[in-house]
Amino acid sequence: MTTEPVPTATTDAAPAAGGAVHESLPARRSWLNALSRFGFLLVFGACVAVFGVLSSSFLQLGNLLNILDGNAVLLIVALGMTLVVAAGGIDLSIGVALDFGGWLAIVGMMDYRLTWQSALLVALAAGSVVGAFNAFLVIRLGVSPFLATLGTLFIGHSIERINTSGGGQVAYYDMPQGYQNLATGHLLGIPVPVLIAAGVLVVYFVVLERSVHGRRIHALGLQPTAAEVAGVRRSRYLWFAFVFASATAAIGGIILTAELRQFTPLSGFTYLLDAIAAVFIGASMHPRQRPNVVGTLVGVLFLGVVSNGLNLIGMDFNLRAALEGIILVAALALAVAQRRLAHGWPS
Amino acid sequence: MTTATTERAVPARPGIRLPHGLIARAPLLVFAVLFVYIAVRAPEFLDGQSIFSILRQSAPDAILACGLAVVVMAGGDDIVSGGIDLSLPAAATLGVAIMADRLVSGESFPSALALAVAAVLVVGVVNSVLVVVVGLTPLLATLATSVAVVGITKWTSANRRITVSDDTVATIRDGSVFGIPVPALFAFVVFVGFWFGIHRTRFGVRLQAVGGSRAATEISGLSVRRYLGTSFPLAGVAAAVAVVVLIARGSGLSPGIEDQLLLDMVLATFVGAAFSPRRVVTVPGAMLGALLVKALGSGFQLLSIDIFKVGMIKGFLILLVVASAAAEGRQR
Repeated sequence: MTTEPVPTATTDAAPAAGGAVHESLPARRSWLNALSRFGFLLVFGACVAVFGVLSSSFLQLGNLLNILDGNAVLLIVALGMTLVVAAGGIDLSIGVALDFGGWLAIVGMMDYRLTWQSALLVALAAGSVVGAFNAFLVIRLGVSPFLATLGTLFIGHSIERINTSGGGQVAYYDMPQGYQNLATGHLLGIPVPVLIAAGVLVVYFVVLERSVHGRRIHALGLQPTAAEVAGVRRSRYLWFAFVFASATAAIGGIILTAELRQFTPLSGFTYLLDAIAAVFIGASMHPRQRPNVVGTLVGVLFLGVVSNGLNLIGMDFNLRAALEGIILVAALALAVAQRRLAHGWPS
Repeated sequence: MTTATTERAVPARPGIRLPHGLIARAPLLVFAVLFVYIAVRAPEFLDGQSIFSILRQSAPDAILACGLAVVVMAGGDDIVSGGIDLSLPAAATLGVAIMADRLVSGESFPSALALAVAAVLVVGVVNSVLVVVVGLTPLLATLATSVAVVGITKWTSANRRITVSDDTVATIRDGSVFGIPVPALFAFVVFVGFWFGIHRTRFGVRLQAVGGSRAATEISGLSVRRYLGTSFPLAGVAAAVAVVVLIARGSGLSPGIEDQLLLDMVLATFVGAAFSPRRVVTVPGAMLGALLVKALGSGFQLLSIDIFKVGMIKGFLILLVVASAAAEGRQR
């Protein structure tokens, strides 16, 4: 029942206070600080080493490309989520944007005979509409992002069910080769989804981490009132964040439908928890616990490596689900606990 | 309280300008209109049988919503940095899986229940440790444990349906005491316990204070960690009770029930906030929210509205409730 120091003990003040603590750390603490930042990478490295020893095929180039290929969609979705979380929101309906993008692209090609290039534009537009709906709810109606996007999630899933007679797949087996190549093609031996994800990654890195625009978004997420007083137009940047993130998720939807040659309703929902986890794993590695593009990449790779490694060891599917979850909890706990160790444990 | 605020001069704002009281009561009005509509179109909606069926069906959601309400009240209602427990439905489902598995292998009801309750409480304690000791935000911590617990459930149940034919389970499912269905009694007991504990004791008032302003409670000498840390195992107690009504409702385990439970629990809890004078999450609000949401669902069923459209209506309801709360906040 001792009184605790206010700024460090409260979790919600931690991101703001973290910066100041970081700057004023004595030099002898700096190695501990580095350890806390990269502790998660150590865990990651240990996982890679263990899988490498247990499975001879894990570290082969083909398998590593496989991991990248299999997680390209997750990376794209997680990057969109990074943008929204950096702006101080959260987007539970990001899977709806993914679904709508892939779905409308397929419907456009199948029923309206669109070329596959224009189908891509339709997909991006569909994703943007979902994002714009969220932005309208959050900015114009003042609803909190969590509840607004939860509402969009309900509505979006309902629309998908109604129009696919309860969740039936929309198959399109003779889709244009160009569209299909977006998922199954190779360029210089690298799968196209990996290249697309890499492109999205670069765009996000530049926009969010290397531009004034990104600085303002981070400022809004960190201290909305201070940012607004300093002249950042909150509504403009939130509109951008929600719409851009949803359009990005629609790219993921395009790859997914191109790969399966069909649209499976509600498939975007499966990416939601992993995307959020990747964003927060990434944030836990940042000196000020901010969501960031590189951290999200590491988070996605970690999830991908764990899943792939457990699979190669030949683990039972259901046991794998249990272990993946437990590793996720442990890794997050370790990443955050090490940070606390370096910055001083609260009383 | 509302009359006092109406008399205060409302600064002219661009955009929607409706009478204050109307906006504040919009969610209640919409619920009332919907119920009247259902009752007119399908008079059997007001039958005793239909009402008891609603009570029976809404018990698990109501119990989980009471648990979630406690966590939200202790952690504050900012969802990203405040209190939330997304792992409650997963924990309850894990309990159902363990209990169904034990019952099928011939164990007695009490010993199977004891094991299930222990597992559910462990999840609550793990959440508490992750939030208070490790320092994860509740959203992230409970999201991660929920992924882990769903995985463990899949592993223990091999992700298949387990049908239970135990007499006690059947009694809880179909039985009634003084005409009231047994699951509803469970929900009522949880409600009274939580309502008294949170809204009528010193402990509960302090817990609410912690959620209201963490910094202020800390300055006044209360241990934030203690109240925050207690809220997760408390919610775990609710999830443990939910195990019993859930296994009765499904006559065993059906894989994947946690997804629907999660959405309904969150919806009930936050819709319930519309019924409190200060628009905050409360235990009675959560209970009422769960009942209303389930009653609407069952009403739409009577009107034979497409089941897929019910999700859409629920979505618009959440948005309506939270948007009107936000609009009211702006007008103050």
